[in-house]
Amino acid sequence: MKRVLAFLLLALAMVVALGSSAIAAPEDVANSIATQVMSPYCPGVTLHDCPSDAAVKLRERITSWAEQGWDRDRIIAKLKDEFGPGIVAAPPKSGSGLFAWLLPLAAVLIGALLLWRLLARWTHPPEDGPPASVSAEDHRRVEAEMAKFRTSG
Amino acid sequence: MKSLAGLGHPALLAALFFAVVGVALSVAGALRERRDLADAGVRAIGATCAFTLLAGVSLLTALYAHDFSLDYVTSYSSRSLSSLFTFSALWGGMEGSLLFWTMLLTVFSTIALHQAKARNSRLVAWTAAVLGGIGIFFLLLLVMPADPFTRLAVVPADGQGLNPLLQSPGMVIHPPLLYTGFVGFSIPFAFAMAALLSGNLDDAWFTSTRRWTLFAWSALSIGIVLGGAWAYTELGWGGYWAWDPVENASFMPWLTATAFLHSVVIQEKRRMFKVWNVSLILLTYVLAVFGTFLTRSGILSSIHTFTQGPIGKWFLPFLALMLLGGITVIAARYESLRSTNRFDSLLSRESAFLANNVLFAAAALTVLWGTIYPVVAEVITGTRLSVGPPFFNAVFIPIGLALIGLTGLGPLVSWRRTSGKAFRRIVRVPLAAGAVVAIGLGLLGVHSTGALLAFSLCAFTAFAIAGEFARGSKTYRNRGHQWPSALNQTLLRNRRRYGGYVVHLGVVLIVIGFAGNAFKTERHALLEHGESMTVGSYTLTYERLDSSETPEKRIFRTTIDVSRGGSHVTTLHPERNFHIAQRQAQSEVTIRSTPVEDLYVVVTSIDQDGAAAVRAFVNPLTWWIWTGAGIMLLGISIVLLGNAPMSVAEPQPSKVREPAVVGAG
Repeated sequence: MKRVLAFLLLALAMVVALGSSAIAAPEDVANSIATQVMSPYCPGVTLHDCPSDAAVKLRERITSWAEQGWDRDRIIAKLKDEFGPGIVAAPPKSGSGLFAWLLPLAAVLIGALLLWRLLARWTHPPEDGPPASVSAEDHRRVEAEMAKFRTSG
Repeated sequence: MKSLAGLGHPALLAALFFAVVGVALSVAGALRERRDLADAGVRAIGATCAFTLLAGVSLLTALYAHDFSLDYVTSYSSRSLSSLFTFSALWGGMEGSLLFWTMLLTVFSTIALHQAKARNSRLVAWTAAVLGGIGIFFLLLLVMPADPFTRLAVVPADGQGLNPLLQSPGMVIHPPLLYTGFVGFSIPFAFAMAALLSGNLDDAWFTSTRRWTLFAWSALSIGIVLGGAWAYTELGWGGYWAWDPVENASFMPWLTATAFLHSVVIQEKRRMFKVWNVSLILLTYVLAVFGTFLTRSGILSSIHTFTQGPIGKWFLPFLALMLLGGITVIAARYESLRSTNRFDSLLSRESAFLANNVLFAAAALTVLWGTIYPVVAEVITGTRLSVGPPFFNAVFIPIGLALIGLTGLGPLVSWRRTSGKAFRRIVRVPLAAGAVVAIGLGLLGVHSTGALLAFSLCAFTAFAIAGEFARGSKTYRNRGHQWPSALNQTLLRNRRRYGGYVVHLGVVLIVIGFAGNAFKTERHALLEHGESMTVGSYTLTYERLDSSETPEKRIFRTTIDVSRGGSHVTTLHPERNFHIAQRQAQSEVTIRSTPVEDLYVVVTSIDQDGAAAVRAFVNPLTWWIWTGAGIMLLGISIVLLGNAPMSVAEPQPSKVREPAVVGAG
């Protein structure tokens, strides 16, 4: 069983490692970038999802930049220059944006830690007491009944 | 139809009066332990319900009578609006939607209190007081800042009509379902708070209201899916979920309610997690109200108008009161709620449910944090930041995948303890299925790590669920039943448990649909008549443009021929229409949907010469999202039909043992 699982995991790792080397078409690059930036014309909506004519034109400009061979970073830098840093749809992973990323991570880590501690505590009964799932009163009654049973025998 | 708008405002005032009386009588009945006062309080809540319904009927008659002397009727309806959408205009605007919310609240309160009459009178009295208190808040909104019966000084000849985007059959069903979900949670919330206030801290409050909880969760689930379907078929951007504040508003209480549905099973089975469960139901209701605040306080247009909406300043103190009040009563009863029971083993279903709860809570916190962070950051640093889909996808997808894995793991472990040997034996097949799917897809050319992980975990969970059905059916197979009959018997024997598994199977299919989004293709082109474009393996040829006119809109209907490899596939007719009353252009999407992929075509503009700007998408596996939602609905029906009618009457002992929750198994 272990060998089969190890083989499957190894094969999986190889499949992922092989990766895709296909070069994305300029329009695919532009579409992908449009999902990563907010629309300057539709509040709270990404450029990709914004239906306004101005957004269509901006998407076309991004496509033309991609066709000219601009990479993703250069296009996003150009958009930030033109519309300000708030155009990027995710907060930066530094400065005032860092805290946005840290809290979910902290929530999961603290949750996992709490889970671990709770499970460790709940699955290990106190050393000098009865098992945790049996109350002290029940334990005493069982002991009394057992003592009665032994003496009657 | 004659408008009864004149009755609306007086009816709301009467409802408010009876709500105040109801709360006063209920509190007096609870404090003095007087059954007669408590019963009078319940009757007063019933009167509140009657007058709120009268106000609702008044607004409906005004809408159908085209009584444009009312600001609300002018703003959200017109003479040319169809009967169906005139009805949906009842919740199409802020004031009407709050009236609709209050109608649901008072109806649900009256039913729940009537069902609970036979119960402990103190518990019922405090429940009536909490529900009446919530009712007072919403009725105050309706008689003061959000009055749907405000008159105009000059009566226009026609109204502005309903937003064209809202003129969709989905929008007739979607908002009422969301509101049913939001408002439905007020019943378990009120019973939980009443239990804490009255000191009746046994399991009565959640056994009494678990059907309401499941009902509210089901309505919210279906409402969220319908919202996604509406976005997909109406908005024209080829997607169904954009992580905007309005969507997040409905998703946050869904996450905490789902955590509650699972964790309450541990309370039923092991008498543990009492503090956590009352906290979860408090959080769920607070988030539901917070969602209403978000969607009705101007945040739709811009998140930075957070506190500038007309009713925002009313909601914030109410939210603070509920949250702080709830925390205070939980803290006051903390010692009584603490459990002395412990887990027997790390490898147990309790542990899996606990891990599930941690992840759901983290997910809810993440969505809340991402939703409010732009406001928080701007207040603290003065910097305007955007928190959009890239952030939510980055932080939520790993949590979501872990949850899918746990969905599969849960049924594989027993309550109390599972031996390592038994676990290894039972996990083999699902694990191998997951690995084989990942490797197979990898060899077929799928190299996205996220998608491989998603498909692999879905296979793992689907096989785990199938294994549960197979093991459950074995008894009947041994008795000579054929497979279909054995499966049917298994399902009928324990509808809650196996209905829950069907819900989980629906979730797996939905996740498969989400994972398909990683392979989406999109193209945009301006086509003259006879010109073609390609998207994926399809060739789209713009053949014809037809125009026509109705009282509501001018319709421009295109004809686009779709072929693949030279063979005709279908003909699509996306439209670009001009809505006359709103002076607004609107695209009507066409979709050719198959289990493999959707071809999604939208015309974003048509110029003077008839050239059409066409945006086309190939969305793989999206069909499975709606199919999965249907299977979820089937599972929910199995769970709901497997119990006694929704009731808060004293449950029978035999029923107490069976959790009426999704994934109860």
